[in-house]
Amino acid sequence: MKKPIAVGSALAIIALTVYVMAKGFGSNPHEVPFLLSGKPAPAFTIKRLDNDQPVSFSDFKGKPLVINFWATWCGPCQTEHPVLDWAAKKYEGQAVFLGIVFEDNEQNTKRFLAQNGWSFVQLFDPKSTVAVDYGVSGVPETYFIDRNGIINHKVAAPFVDPREFAAHMETILK
Amino acid sequence: MLIALSLVANLALAQEGYAPQRPVTDPLDATREARVQELGKHLRCAVCQGVSIADSPASMARAQLDKVRELVAQGKTDEEIYAYFVERYGEWALMEPKKSGVTLGLWVFPLLLLAVGLYVIWLQSKKGPTPAPPVSEEPKSEPSTDEYLAKVRADLEK
Repeated sequence: MKKPIAVGSALAIIALTVYVMAKGFGSNPHEVPFLLSGKPAPAFTIKRLDNDQPVSFSDFKGKPLVINFWATWCGPCQTEHPVLDWAAKKYEGQAVFLGIVFEDNEQNTKRFLAQNGWSFVQLFDPKSTVAVDYGVSGVPETYFIDRNGIINHKVAAPFVDPREFAAHMETILK
Repeated sequence: MLIALSLVANLALAQEGYAPQRPVTDPLDATREARVQELGKHLRCAVCQGVSIADSPASMARAQLDKVRELVAQGKTDEEIYAYFVERYGEWALMEPKKSGVTLGLWVFPLLLLAVGLYVIWLQSKKGPTPAPPVSEEPKSEPSTDEYLAKVRADLEK
């Protein structure tokens, strides 16, 4: 009677260890979890960089929204800038594109946009409060928000392929 | 003049690839600020490697600490403040996993293993040393049917 219990306990411990190790080895240790997918996007009111006018999340009610958090000092953000420019033009009238610049200053941003294209509305988050509210964990990060104001998902990597961006857009244009 | 221009150029170069300094937020009064710092020690910086937002010099960590400051100023409880970060990053946001739910196992399992180990040691010590197996006696020889041997025995008994 004692032997089956001992064997059962040993097997349970081995199974638990294998499960924990498989789960640990199967995940990227540098990936920061993101739990806001499927939840309402946090509201905000911050100013536009081109005319200093306040812009609120509620201004875009009923429209699919793409929000790109970025900064000029971030190399990958510079790399993906042409893809975002292309996407903003391609999806004009179907979705709203917003850039939110954080951990940066206005002068750098305006200079960068003047040199590299300013095809969609850019907002300035001076104390990164909006970035914290959105659970940002790096730059660049792009949020895809549906017409009901629900975060469908975010992409925490730069876009280099327009086709890849188009596939993400499909999730919020439905 | 040349030195001043060189300094400006160097500063401009230094800004490439790094987040510029952000405006510093005013601390709260001493009691509430101490609470902000204490809460910050239990919350993980979102852009660092295993460092709390109170200990990290990263600009984003200071933004997160500002959020804690804002929530403390609004009169939120510790649980509500932790919940704000857990809602975004999951329990990863906490420097120590919560002592409840599934993660309770992380705290209880090692203690349970230790208790089982101590119990086994106690059981063994209670039994005392295992007695040595008894020395076996000489096996009794079966009565022989050997005729020669029977004759020898008979001769000896005479």
